Amino acid sequence: MNAVVNDVEDVLSALADPTRRELLERLSMRGHATATTLADELPISRQAVVQHLALLDSVGLVSARREGRERLFAVRTEQLTKTARWMDTLAERWDLRLAAIKRLAEM
Amino acid sequence: MSTDRIEREIKIAAPIERVWAVLTEPAHVGTWFGNGSPAEIDLRPGGVMVLDHGEHGTYQTLIVNVDPPRAFSYRWAAGYPGVVATELNSTLVEFTLEAAAGGTLLRVVESGFDELVIPAGREGSAGFESHSEGWTGVIARLGEYVEGRDESSLSPPE
Repeated sequence: MNAVVNDVEDVLSALADPTRRELLERLSMRGHATATTLADELPISRQAVVQHLALLDSVGLVSARREGRERLFAVRTEQLTKTARWMDTLAERWDLRLAAIKRLAEM
Repeated sequence: MSTDRIEREIKIAAPIERVWAVLTEPAHVGTWFGNGSPAEIDLRPGGVMVLDHGEHGTYQTLIVNVDPPRAFSYRWAAGYPGVVATELNSTLVEFTLEAAAGGTLLRVVESGFDELVIPAGREGSAGFESHSEGWTGVIARLGEYVEGRDESSLSPPE
């Protein structure tokens, strides 16, 4: 439909996976973490964590930067905010449509 | 904030039958929910109502319930212009009309956002269940996080 909706769909698809949600929440609590740290806390392999983080990175939900031999990940909030705002926009559109119905009905 | 549904209502100073007409008659629908020209509407459960949103595309909504003058609902696949809405690609839009003092109370509920986006290849699979808790909670919780931390997610560790 348009770029915003595509972004929103990417974000929602990424969040549909419980492991990725868990990773995001852990990252948000810690501020930042490496894949190794996260894998130590969860019953999944480091390799699996790396793959999930790569997907989260590709849709803009996390950022990564090099820290020694590892990459340090952090939550990026712009896309989440955009997703929340998208819902607000849809609600506002309904307000506009209802107002239009009201105008027509009261004519 | 619920991310699965949007609920809105408005009080209208007109009889319920009049509101029903505006809600379901082609000329009116084309005005408030289309490009201005009359909408194509096969007003029965299972019928299709075509909404022309110009540059955004033409939506073939699938009518679910027609109960004049009290209830009207349809499935709307806002992400999929040009194809008839199904349970998998759409949200459910439900209008309810209620006679009230001095007119009509019109309510609209659009629901099903949590199930709207299904990862490719996972349709109908067990993974679908994971949506029920889904991104609703994540957005709410991370929303608090956003407010608490603001830009600090990108700042270097101390």
